[in-house]
Amino acid sequence: MSMVRDRAPTRITAAATATFAVVGLGLIAALLLGAWPLIGEPRPLANLLGGLWDPLRGAYGLAPFFVGTVVVTATAMALTLPFSLAVAVVLSRPLPDGVRLGATRVLTVLTAVPSVIFGWWGLLAVVPWVRARFGGAGFSLLAAGLVLAIMVTPTLSLLFYQALRSVPRAFRDGSAALGATPDQTLVRMELPCALPLLIQAVLIAVARAVGETMAVQMVIGGQTVLPTGLTSPGATLTTQILTDMSIFPPGTRGHAVLDVMALVLMVGMYLLVRLAERWVAMP
Amino acid sequence: MVLHLVALVLTGVAAALFALIIVSLVRQGLPSLTWRFLVGSPNERAGDNGIAPELMNTAFLIGVTWLVTAPLGLLVAIFLREYGFRRRSAVVRPLNHLRATLLSAPTVVVALVVYRVAVGWWHWPVSLATGCLTLAVINWPFMVTVAEQALASVPQSYREASLGLGATRFATAVRVVIPAALSPLIEGWGLAVARLAGESAALVITAGVNVSRHFSLWGPGETLAVHIWYIRTEGVSVNRDAEAAATGVILLLLIAAVVWSSARVARMLSGGEPR
Amino acid sequence: MGLDIHVNKLSVWYRGHQALRQVSLDVNAGEVLALIGPSGCGKSTFLRALNRLLDEDLGARRTGQVMMEGVDVLAPEHDITALRRRVGMVFQTPNPFPFSIFDNVAYGLRLQGTNDAAALRRTVEESLRQAALWDEVRGKLRRPALALSGGQQQRLCIARALAVGPEVLLMDEPTASLDPLSTARIEELIGNLRGRYTIVLVTHNLRQAARVSDRTAFFAHGSLVEIGPTRQIFTVPQDPRTEEYLTGRMES
Repeated sequence: MSMVRDRAPTRITAAATATFAVVGLGLIAALLLGAWPLIGEPRPLANLLGGLWDPLRGAYGLAPFFVGTVVVTATAMALTLPFSLAVAVVLSRPLPDGVRLGATRVLTVLTAVPSVIFGWWGLLAVVPWVRARFGGAGFSLLAAGLVLAIMVTPTLSLLFYQALRSVPRAFRDGSAALGATPDQTLVRMELPCALPLLIQAVLIAVARAVGETMAVQMVIGGQTVLPTGLTSPGATLTTQILTDMSIFPPGTRGHAVLDVMALVLMVGMYLLVRLAERWVAMP
Repeated sequence: MVLHLVALVLTGVAAALFALIIVSLVRQGLPSLTWRFLVGSPNERAGDNGIAPELMNTAFLIGVTWLVTAPLGLLVAIFLREYGFRRRSAVVRPLNHLRATLLSAPTVVVALVVYRVAVGWWHWPVSLATGCLTLAVINWPFMVTVAEQALASVPQSYREASLGLGATRFATAVRVVIPAALSPLIEGWGLAVARLAGESAALVITAGVNVSRHFSLWGPGETLAVHIWYIRTEGVSVNRDAEAAATGVILLLLIAAVVWSSARVARMLSGGEPR
Repeated sequence: MGLDIHVNKLSVWYRGHQALRQVSLDVNAGEVLALIGPSGCGKSTFLRALNRLLDEDLGARRTGQVMMEGVDVLAPEHDITALRRRVGMVFQTPNPFPFSIFDNVAYGLRLQGTNDAAALRRTVEESLRQAALWDEVRGKLRRPALALSGGQQQRLCIARALAVGPEVLLMDEPTASLDPLSTARIEELIGNLRGRYTIVLVTHNLRQAARVSDRTAFFAHGSLVEIGPTRQIFTVPQDPRTEEYLTGRMES
C-alpha cells in the first residue's frame, strides 16, 4: 500500500534528478561538440599548447592563459593562506558566543560580496599601487593575484574555521592537560588533526580562484602574450573566454578554441573535486 | 603564545583591509546616492544616471531563478538522500561528482554553453530570458548542495520514527525531514540570493550590458553587478567612479540584508542555539 | 612518592553560578582520594581547578588557594605548563588523539623538547607497562590509537599522562564509558599506581570508590560535606546528608 502511494512523488523526484543529470552532462557534451573541430585536427596539442595567440593568423596557442591562470591562482593562494589561517585560529579560540557568532556572520556576508566590488577596489587601489610601486601600467598578474587573495579570504577563513572546529574539545583539553601551551596544541595537535579538512578547504578555494572571472578581468590587463613577470599584464582562461565571446561567434574556429578552454576548466574542476574527495567527503 | 599573537595581528590586518574597502566604497558612493539615482534611468551622456531598470532586472532575474531552482534543487536532494534503492552508490556517486563539478564550474563556462544553445541554436536574443536560463543552470547545483546538506543535518532517528509509523519515504521527507531541516535550508537559500545578485561574468554574455526602454523578457537586461562592471571598465560617464560605487553600495546593502535576515530566521527556527 | 595537596577555601563560579563553595581539604601524598556526590555537585569542577584546566573556560572565575610544596599553584604568575606536567589528568571519555599509539604516549614528552628516539621509546614502553597495556600493544605501536577498544584507549590515556612523569593523577570518572571487564582492569591499575602517585578519583560508582580509595570526600551542592577514611564514610558517616546519599535517599 505504502509503495503505491509513494510512486508518484518518487517519479517526480527521479525525473528532476534525471533532468539535472541531462543538463549537467549536456553542458559537457556541448563543450565537447564545440571543441571537436579543433581536437579532431592533426596534432591538436602542439597547436593548443603553443605560446602564440594570434587568431587572425590562425595561431591559437593557449600557453599565455594557462600561465596566467596558474600564476594568478598561486599568487592569490600564497597571499591569502597566512591571513585565512590566522582568522580561523583566532575564531576557534575560546571567545564569547556573541563575538564568535557576530564574526562568523560578518564573514558569511563577506563571502557573498560580488566580485565586481573587489574588481572596483582593485581599479581604485590595487592597480595604482602596483603602478606606483613596480612601474608599468599597474594592470598585471600581481594586481589580479592581490584582488583574488582578498576576495577568497572570507571563504577560506570560514572553511579553515570549520576545519579547526571539527577537532573535538576533548582533544584540546587532553593536550592542555599534558602541559601543552596553546601554540603547541595548535601546531602539534589541532593542525595535524584538521589536516584533511584544511587541504580540502584549500582545494575549494583554488577552484574558486581558478573560476573567478570578473574581478580578475578588471585588473589583469588582458594581454594575450606570454607574461614575462608578475608585474606584466596577462590573461587567464576565464577572462579570455569573457573578452573573446563577443569577438568569435559560435561556429568559428576562434569560438571552438573558447570551448577548448572551457573544457579544460571543467576537467580541472572535476579533478579538484575528486582530489578533495580523496581527502574527505565532498563539499 | 607567539603564534597566537601573530594570528591576532594578521586577523586585525585582514579586518582593517575589508573595513577599508567597504568604507571607501561608501565614501565614494554616498554623494551620488540620491532619490533620482534610484528611480532614474542610465543616461551616459548627460552624466545624470539612475539605476531603476537595473534594480528591476536584478530583482526579476533573482526572483525567477530562485523560484525555479529552489524546488528543483530540493527534489533532486530528496531523491539523492531520502530514497534507498538498489545499487544506490552506482547512482548517487556519479551524480555527486557531477553536482560538485558543476558547483565549482566557472560561471563564464556555463554562459558559454547557454549562449551556444539558446542564442546559437534556438535564436533567443541576448536578453533577460537568456540570463534567467543561465542563472538557473548556474544555481541548480548550488540549490541541490544546500538542500542535501540541510537534509543530511537531520538525525536518522527522525526518519526511522516516521517510517516506523507507516509513513512513505516522500511523506517522511515532506512532513518530518524538511521541517527539521528548515533552518539550514533558509540560510542556504539566502546565500543563493546573494550569489545570484553578485553574478556578473555570465550575465555580461547572456543578458547584455544595456537596458531596454520598456521592461521586456526578450530585451537586454543589465543587472546591478553588471552595471558596476560596465560603467567602471567601458563607461564614458564623467562621474563613473562615484556611480559605480553608489551602485555597489546598493548591491552590498541588498546582499547583506538578505544574508543577515536569512541567518536570523534560520537561527530563530533552530531554537536560537549558536551554530 | 606523590605530592601533598592542600586546598584552601576554593570557590568557583561559572557565569555567575557558584559551582564550588569554599572547599578546603588535604590530599595526602600517595593516597587514592575518591570524590563522590550527586551530578552537578562540583566534584569535576574541583578536579579541573587542580590542574587549572578551568582557565581554558572563559566563563569561569575562582578564588582560594591550592598549595603544592608550599606554593599556590592557582596564583596567576605560577607556570601553568609546569603545573600540568606535575598533575596529569584522565578524562571521562577516553580521548586519545587520532595519531599512532606511540605518538600518543610520546606527545607530552615531545612537547618538552625530547626528540631522542631511544629515550622516547624507553619512556613509551615504561609508561605502557605501568598502564598495563604493553602486553596488548607491543609490536603494534605504529597502529592508530583509535583502533583500540574503549578500555584499551583509556589505559592508553593513562599511559600518556604517566609518560610526562607526573606526581598527581586526576581521574574524572575514568570508567564511566567502559564495560565491567575494562572497568575492573582500570580499578586494578589504580590499585597498582597507589603509593607512587597521588590520585584524585571522581566517580559515580560508589562501589568503585569503596574498592579502590583510601579516603573519600562527599560533595553536595558545591560544598564539601564530609571527608574521611573510605571505610568510615561508607559505614559510619558523620553527616546525615552523606548517609542519605549512600542509602539512595538523596536525588543523584
